[in-house]
Amino acid sequence: MSDNIAVPIEELRHAIRHEYSAVATDPGRGFHFHTGRKLAALLGYDEKWLDGIPEANIASFAGTGNPFRVGPFELGERVVDVGCSAGMDSLIAAKMVGPTGRVIGIDMTPEMLAKAREGAAQVSTSNVEFREGYAESLPVDDAWADVLISNGVLNLTPDKDATLREWARVLKPGGSLQVGDILVQRAVPETAKRKIDLWTG
Amino acid sequence: MIVFANAGFVDFRIPWRADVFSDAPQGGDAAEFGTLGINVGAVKATTQAQIEAALAALRCDPTT
Repeated sequence: MSDNIAVPIEELRHAIRHEYSAVATDPGRGFHFHTGRKLAALLGYDEKWLDGIPEANIASFAGTGNPFRVGPFELGERVVDVGCSAGMDSLIAAKMVGPTGRVIGIDMTPEMLAKAREGAAQVSTSNVEFREGYAESLPVDDAWADVLISNGVLNLTPDKDATLREWARVLKPGGSLQVGDILVQRAVPETAKRKIDLWTG
Repeated sequence: MIVFANAGFVDFRIPWRADVFSDAPQGGDAAEFGTLGINVGAVKATTQAQIEAALAALRCDPTT
């Protein structure tokens, strides 16, 4: 995982929004990462989990891991999905926790949120909602969640300390963090860490 | 791992890692740094003592 470094956060957020708005609106364009069903299979998603999820929401999936392989989800649990993108993971979680559970998906990219909300409306699910917000400042009450999931997001936040403290804030004591992310096996030079393009590409 | 413990998480683990970037439609910097996709798990501590024990273990304190 990346170290905390000084990059202009608004410039970084702008670059990330620009990239992921394209993933939302034009997922077939091709990116420096895999997307969609092919990616889900690569990450070990069970085909059954995708049953009933609208294809448009699957097509814009751009995670880097599989939160659902880290630990079980129980009926009735409350889940927060940070950086939910087009909502595929949120909609899977909503199925797993059932009608007595709840899922809040949070994202900062308007096009992704719109797509996530459309997908939820299509499947007529009542236990998931999507809110606009930042990974470092979640629109969720303290100790609300049993599980916090995220997929390919932590590496995009410049202040890991602040981000993880915020994620801890919304989890109940004993709550589970289940995250997909990245690690690098070779050191990234300090000068390279300050290149915005390196964060998104 | 220390950044997770400092945030109040214990039982940190990386149960899976793999190359998830090879053959992506566009070239990128992933290969240059040996970038892997990973799954990460952790639990929010229920007591301050748990956090202190996790930090001590990471520091390899002789008392743990």
